[in-house]
Amino acid sequence: MASSSTGEGSSKMNQSQIAQRMWEMANNMEYYNAADEIYQYDRKQQQDILQAKPWEKDPHFFKQIKISALALLKMVMHARSGGTLEVMGLMLGKVDGSMMIVMDSFALPVEGTETRVNAQAQAYEYMTAYVEAAKQVGRQENVIGWYHSHPGYGCWLSGIDVSTQMLNQNYQEPFVAIVIDPIRTISSGKVNIGAFRTYPKGYKPPDEGPSEYQTIPLNKIEDFGVHCKQYYSLDISYFKSSLDKKLLDSLWNKYWVNTLSSSSLITNAEYMTRQIFDLSDKLENSETALGRAGLFGLDPQEKKTEDKLSRVTRDSCKTTMEALHGLMAQVVKDRLFNQIPQAQQKGQEPA
Amino acid sequence: MFTLRSRSLGWVVTSHKACRLDLIGFNLTECPVLYARFLPKKMASMEVDEDVAAEATSSSQSVAVESSSQAAGNTSNFTAPTSPAPPAQPATGGGSGSALSDVSPGNSVMASAGTVGSVSVSLHPLVILNISEHWTRQRAQEVTSEVQVLGALIGKQTGRHVEIMNSFELSYDMLDGNIIINREYYTLKEEQYKQVFSDLDLLGWYTTGDTPGPPDLLVHKQICDLLDSPIFLKLNPMARHTDLPVSIYESVLDLVNGVPTLLLVELQYTLATEEAERIGVDHVARMSSHDVQESSIVAENLQAQYSAIKMLASRVRLIAEYVKASQRGEVEFNHEILRQVNALAHRLPVLNSEKFRGEFYNQCNDVALMSYLGTITKCCNTMNRFINRFNLLHERLAMGQSISYPLPVYEEWLGS
Repeated sequence: MASSSTGEGSSKMNQSQIAQRMWEMANNMEYYNAADEIYQYDRKQQQDILQAKPWEKDPHFFKQIKISALALLKMVMHARSGGTLEVMGLMLGKVDGSMMIVMDSFALPVEGTETRVNAQAQAYEYMTAYVEAAKQVGRQENVIGWYHSHPGYGCWLSGIDVSTQMLNQNYQEPFVAIVIDPIRTISSGKVNIGAFRTYPKGYKPPDEGPSEYQTIPLNKIEDFGVHCKQYYSLDISYFKSSLDKKLLDSLWNKYWVNTLSSSSLITNAEYMTRQIFDLSDKLENSETALGRAGLFGLDPQEKKTEDKLSRVTRDSCKTTMEALHGLMAQVVKDRLFNQIPQAQQKGQEPA
Repeated sequence: MFTLRSRSLGWVVTSHKACRLDLIGFNLTECPVLYARFLPKKMASMEVDEDVAAEATSSSQSVAVESSSQAAGNTSNFTAPTSPAPPAQPATGGGSGSALSDVSPGNSVMASAGTVGSVSVSLHPLVILNISEHWTRQRAQEVTSEVQVLGALIGKQTGRHVEIMNSFELSYDMLDGNIIINREYYTLKEEQYKQVFSDLDLLGWYTTGDTPGPPDLLVHKQICDLLDSPIFLKLNPMARHTDLPVSIYESVLDLVNGVPTLLLVELQYTLATEEAERIGVDHVARMSSHDVQESSIVAENLQAQYSAIKMLASRVRLIAEYVKASQRGEVEFNHEILRQVNALAHRLPVLNSEKFRGEFYNQCNDVALMSYLGTITKCCNTMNRFINRFNLLHERLAMGQSISYPLPVYEEWLGS
């Protein structure tokens, strides 16, 4: 469908006419877009799957997860609204083969505390009431997982999260855990999200390759390291309906202004400062480690200090790159709006 | 005419101290209209109580009497453009009512053009996606082409600014072809969302479809029971233009053919932005169309900027084309538009003072310093590893040990 957002010099009249004709054609030919089939809920099929329980035999059964545009946006906004506190909520969806599908999410009225295992029991009443009410307005899906936020310290499962998820996977299968970091989302400009499933106790997973490296603050590194082998992450992909796509395209017509006017150096200043504090702590650590190991050139110790220093290097590179990205945006804007050669007619305020 | 003006201003000042400041800027003929609107809406910043409301209606009644007794030509000029006449005054409505004959309750529910809304609205994209998903889901399950969904809007209202932040579905029953909202369902949902979003209130309702009609007004009246002056949002999923097919209305009590009816006034709205929301919307809008993994991090990051600048360029080109066309005489010469274009062109450069340059270079220097530090760290790391390996080799040679590791291992050491 021709979207007139790429105006190529022709007047707006012609483009809207073309768009209209193409839309009419598309509308007449297929009244029902195949992309929207995912929104159908086949109760029988879902119940069959629940009976069969194919995930019991294979701990690595679910490999992919599809998240709807709406669920993603809701989760990101909820995580963001918590500020520096962790928030959590549940997700509704269904299963399709070895893929889990998340259709919607909703927030739970629990505070982010350390003892999140108890919080699940507290929110149970809210959850049942919500799901009941949702069924009345045509949302038939069941709860398929939970999400929570790690504001500023990355997407991974902490020790408590792992035990919560293991409990869930015993009693509420199929269940998935999603973690969102709203602060890193804003600083890097990309949605920072991870979906995980734990292995059952005592299961030795086959050695998978090194997962994507994440910067983890010093005070959380131990928690991460101890448990990182007890769960695996699923591949995340997203989907949206045809109406979503159309609305998002037309939203872009107004939204591009905000993209240009956002300044990431200013929004991320606090986060960057914290990162640098963290970096300095890590550097001190690796320095003392280096000092100790400097006398003997033993292999294993070297590996450890090398690892520490190279990790610090990677973290510093990441922070630096984000700062550079922010500066690039500023320079682009400066060039666009401040430096015009004379005698040239330009000028447009974002309308 | 002067008597009319001074009298209406006098009543306003004495009885509504809180809103005096607001009214100074307004067109005088809108004073009676203001009373009509402020009454239903309980604003936090303004207290409008019962006896004041009664005074207001009496004052507007007198104004209407004045207007109808004066020469019809003069006064209809006043009342016609801002059409709403004083509320609930059948006796006096005759004079000004004739100016409203173009709005008949059977066909259109819109107040005539020129009525100004009383609140400014900002809308979050999340609400739009919510409604779209609700509609898609309904359609997928019912497999009919005509589907209408209904729901409630929640958000914050401060003074005259309304921010619509979220929404949820409402359950309704059909009675004789009319939609009746299920009250218990609403109270249930209200309880639930109050637990999670404690600072959001009910702001209005939404539905899908084309231009609003009488059935919408029926539902609107039901919502009026729950809330004083609700906002009404209509999304058209079958829209054919590329603009956002969302319209927002509020209701006013008007006099149509002598009968007070509820009419809708379209409101202008802006899109609210929040950094995380923008990134989410960006991400969702751009993915799944082409999963091309950029190998360059810089390119990935600049993609969003690039698309925004592309839009800017296309808009600028459009304006340039328009100006050229009017120069050639192909398009009618519109002074208003050209004046605006001129004003905009004069705004460039946007910011070029000495102070700005200084601050800007400071910022550049700061970031350059950061990257310098980062590079030094990287350098240190590389040096450290090199020295370690070098020492190791040296030691082994010095201790006379034969080098027992196979060559590839060394290569790996030296290379990594």
